[in-house]
Amino acid sequence: MKKLLVLAAIVTAPLFAQVEGDIEVPYIPFEVKMGKGFGEVNANCLTCHSFGYVTNQGRQSKAFWAGKVKKLMVHFKAPITDPDAKIVTEYLYEEYGNGELK
Amino acid sequence: MKRRDFFKTSIAGAAAAMATSLEAGVTGQPIDNRKISTIAFPEKRPMITYSDRPPLLETPRCVFANTITPNDAFFVRWHMPDIPTHIDPKNYKIKIDGLVKKELNISLDFLKDPANFEQVEVTAVLQCGGNSRSAFKPTAGGIQWGHGAMGCAKWKGVRLSDLLDQAGLKKDAEWIGFNGSEKAAYYETPNFVRELHLDELDDHVILAYEMNGEDLPYLNGYPLRLVIPGSYSDSWVKMLSNITVTNKYKKLFFMDIAYRVPDNECECETPEKKAKKTKPITKMNVKSLIGYPENGTVLQTKSHVVVRGVAFDDGHGIRDVKISIDNGKTWKSAELDDGKAGRYAYRGFKLAIKPMKFGKMTIMAKAINKIGQEQPLAKDIKWNHGGYKFNGIDVVTVDVV
Ligand code: HEC
Repeated sequence: MKKLLVLAAIVTAPLFAQVEGDIEVPYIPFEVKMGKGFGEVNANCLTCHSFGYVTNQGRQSKAFWAGKVKKLMVHFKAPITDPDAKIVTEYLYEEYGNGELK
Repeated sequence: MKRRDFFKTSIAGAAAAMATSLEAGVTGQPIDNRKISTIAFPEKRPMITYSDRPPLLETPRCVFANTITPNDAFFVRWHMPDIPTHIDPKNYKIKIDGLVKKELNISLDFLKDPANFEQVEVTAVLQCGGNSRSAFKPTAGGIQWGHGAMGCAKWKGVRLSDLLDQAGLKKDAEWIGFNGSEKAAYYETPNFVRELHLDELDDHVILAYEMNGEDLPYLNGYPLRLVIPGSYSDSWVKMLSNITVTNKYKKLFFMDIAYRVPDNECECETPEKKAKKTKPITKMNVKSLIGYPENGTVLQTKSHVVVRGVAFDDGHGIRDVKISIDNGKTWKSAELDDGKAGRYAYRGFKLAIKPMKFGKMTIMAKAINKIGQEQPLAKDIKWNHGGYKFNGIDVVTVDVV
């Protein structure tokens, strides 16, 4: 079967007005639960991605959240201190936990 | 109240809680019917929205009743929060350097000129390796996509091989590195770079500037992206800035750690005992999706319903799509479209059914490709830590009244 077709000459069309200048990526007001450790989450977890990444995981165990925070520190080099990592893990488990430790 | 309304939640992620009722370790159906946002991103209609930085948008199921996914409903997936917000097509250049005889710096106009390069088109499915990840239990790492981290478009551009020919590969050239323009927010976070071995690149690989007859949408990689028909989208680098030819493979996070599955027969592992050896996800497996009807659609008994959807694989082509409306006891072949869009495109299927009994009715779809591979039942798909390559038989439950 032949999938690549030869085409006739092209015409360069002007850019669609919405993307002609700077594009604006909208801000989504993701809901972040207030709770103990909220400040640390704000300071440590929102530089590289929105809070949507966090809530999207659903309610999870403490071990899950601890592992996630570690993954971000090890693989993505998130500059988080060990005490802050602990506080953030507690916060995530408290606010977005499923009641299970493992 | 429509079932759809019932599922409305304030954020897409909250729906993930629904899936936790599944038995641990048993793969189910991905989370479906997530809420469509009211916020439209540039060039997009409002979609299922997971994140704004980086933008992550999912296509709702109903779009897959058609074989071409419209640009404004096509899914969006970036890795880094910092994507360029301005590209001037007049000044944009793609650079080809490294082990080449002649370094190239090519403008869009030069690239689009048939006097310089043959302009080619291919209709191909673009699917994230983590599409349908929310089917896996326990929760696999990454965004908990439903079914819609995929789409099919007609891509137009030039062959990568023609470009490399013009640059002239040096003798020891072996790896081709592709750099996208997205940037991490923190300097030590690995950037998104891909390397492909020369052997993986054939004439079907193109650098595309057009999608379904329009400029690539900004969020889908304007002005130029890699198109690798049959492969998962992690290697279709967006917003290409440069292509570097080397003789040595560099260690790259998104190649060596992310987007990999266990290197064993079942490509599976358990959370307690993760596989030591892994391999890249590369080629797509056979899959189908019902676009109509959807979960919760209300249908009158004895009415004339046409089930519609799409099926695809990595380019072997689809031989058959079977539909069951009795929980998999009996299967009937759907009618396939003419297949003229080519072996990398969605193959459309349709089947007329008449609901006879009141109550819940499940509709299942199973695709079989030309080399006889078929979709397994979701429950038979074994877990992998990244939640990649889900291709379970699709199941939609409707209400017959
Ligand atoms: C240095 C940048 C950086 C920081 C800081 C950071 N992350 Fe991430 N995070 C990433 C990257 C990169 C990804 C993967 C992006 C991708 O593939 O889309 C990610 C992904 C995630 C995911 C998705 C699940 C997964 O396994 O990929 C979650 C959840 C998450 N981060 C939570 C957090 C939390 C909680 C914090 C604060 C403790 C945090 N992140 C701080 C860079 C960061």
